[in-house]
Amino acid sequence: MSRVPAVIADDEPLLRAQLRARLARIWPELDVVHEMENGKGVEAVIGDHEPSIFFLDIHMPGVNGLEAARAIAGRAHVVFVTAFDQYAVEAFEQGAVDYVLKPFNEERLAITVDRLKGRLGSQPLPIDELVATLAARLAPKANENHLRWIKASVGSNVRLIPVEEVLFFQSDDKYTRVVTCDGESLIRKPIRELLDELDPAKFWQVHRATIVNVDWIASVRRGLKDQAEISLKDCQETLVVSRAFTHLFKQM
Amino acid sequence: MKSYAYLFEGLTTRRVLVVTAICAIAAAMVVRSFLNTYPDLLVSALCVGYTSMLLFTMAGNMRQSRLPREVVQVGAIVVGSFVGTVLAGIVKGRDIRHMFGERLEGVSITMGLGIGFGCVVVAWYILREKHARERERMMRAEAERHQLEKNVLEARLALMQAQVEPHFLFNTLANVQHLVETDPPEASRVLDSLIKYLRAALPQMRESTTNLGRELEMARAFLEINRVRMGSRLQFAIEVPETLKTHAFPPMMLISLVENAVKHGVDPCCDCGTITIRAREDEGRLRVSVEDTGEGIKPKKGGGVGLSNIRERLKALYGTSARLVIEEREPRGVVASIEVPA
Repeated sequence: MSRVPAVIADDEPLLRAQLRARLARIWPELDVVHEMENGKGVEAVIGDHEPSIFFLDIHMPGVNGLEAARAIAGRAHVVFVTAFDQYAVEAFEQGAVDYVLKPFNEERLAITVDRLKGRLGSQPLPIDELVATLAARLAPKANENHLRWIKASVGSNVRLIPVEEVLFFQSDDKYTRVVTCDGESLIRKPIRELLDELDPAKFWQVHRATIVNVDWIASVRRGLKDQAEISLKDCQETLVVSRAFTHLFKQM
Repeated sequence: MKSYAYLFEGLTTRRVLVVTAICAIAAAMVVRSFLNTYPDLLVSALCVGYTSMLLFTMAGNMRQSRLPREVVQVGAIVVGSFVGTVLAGIVKGRDIRHMFGERLEGVSITMGLGIGFGCVVVAWYILREKHARERERMMRAEAERHQLEKNVLEARLALMQAQVEPHFLFNTLANVQHLVETDPPEASRVLDSLIKYLRAALPQMRESTTNLGRELEMARAFLEINRVRMGSRLQFAIEVPETLKTHAFPPMMLISLVENAVKHGVDPCCDCGTITIRAREDEGRLRVSVEDTGEGIKPKKGGGVGLSNIRERLKALYGTSARLVIEEREPRGVVASIEVPA
């Protein structure tokens, strides 16, 4: 029987060695021609080594196993490797995909190897759909459209303030005040730009110069001249809602 | 005109009726000591009353902060009584010059009465308002106390639920599995670290009180495990003076910062990174920091759940005297520090 070229991708060196050792025992014809720390450079590896099988760890920094599988695009058989991962295992079982769990169980690995041997001559299984569902479940691209951290200079340091901690932003001459429970800092980014970048569900403009974090609003009181006044939790300062924005707080 | 409308806020029908009633009663009370008829006195009283009411309302709504509002309001009563008395004279068709001549005594009495009654009414009003404010303040304080109690409970619950990630556990075991075959002494060291970590991390096994030393041991165990797993990519140092290790320190916070430093700092950037834990005490505060040389924080990347949990727990435990600060490290990486009263 001719040798079967394979590639192992895992960010943990010991686990690559472990898988290689186990595979050598149960499948001597398998030839691990290359090892990768993550899925980066799959194209080149395919070009250089023409592997028949990729063993891909799902969680890897940089390019993860799912992204690598997508890049392989059916040019080789893919076996996913993962430590406990409920979602992944459920999806694997429904989708008839080859996978092995860490820590490796020799019998389980042998079953996977048998299945692989049986399929080597045929086309790799289509896994696009499965990879897409898994990608959505495992690494939900946590909405990266909105600003999550404010970088503010405090002395010679740059402080990172999670936006959830910000009570409100208020423009103050050339700067914008960023007010939190523990104090305030100044940033250069104007209210106008913040408005475009913050999550509009959480941050409302209530005045030409003010954006408030709605999670921190304690109460809103109707004030003078068609304005309203916002009281905040944990903060003495009150904010004026100008006439143009009072509709945000009309009773339902 | 509209822009001054706010000055008259609070000038309700009810207020007008109350003032009218007070004037009617006041006139009735003094009618016996005067030669004037009741209607005549009532006109004077109403003039003084309405003028004072108008000025008092405006004084209350004025946006200035140089004088206390109460002082301005009393001033309004004095001026109101004077203007009202003059107004009464005009209404009754008297000669103004005459009023400040022969009739000055009567005029002074009217003014005095106006000021007297006015001040009583104002005192009562101010007291009532102060009482209402006091009540509102107390209610708000009560609500805040409830909120705080709720936060303490939630924080405790979150702490109970904080648990070992199965993914971490199984990956570590996979490493041990390999080391058992290739390097048994190392396998045993990793197992030692895992046991130490689990003892601190599993809620059922956790001791109810802890100190900085114990939290550091847990962090060290976690870092040792990760050093084996990540090979040469992770290095770490713990630079904490022996004397600080007996300090009380809230549980599971340091490990949270260390986990973040590994997971979001060193792990995502593919080459190597160093994590340094430091502690120092100054000016009665204990500051514990976790520094990583990793990829840093991108403004649009999430991952603050553990952090807001720490913030809430710090607040529940120490109020405003503790804090969590996250800063960028030069040239790259993040420094996260927790400050608590020492």
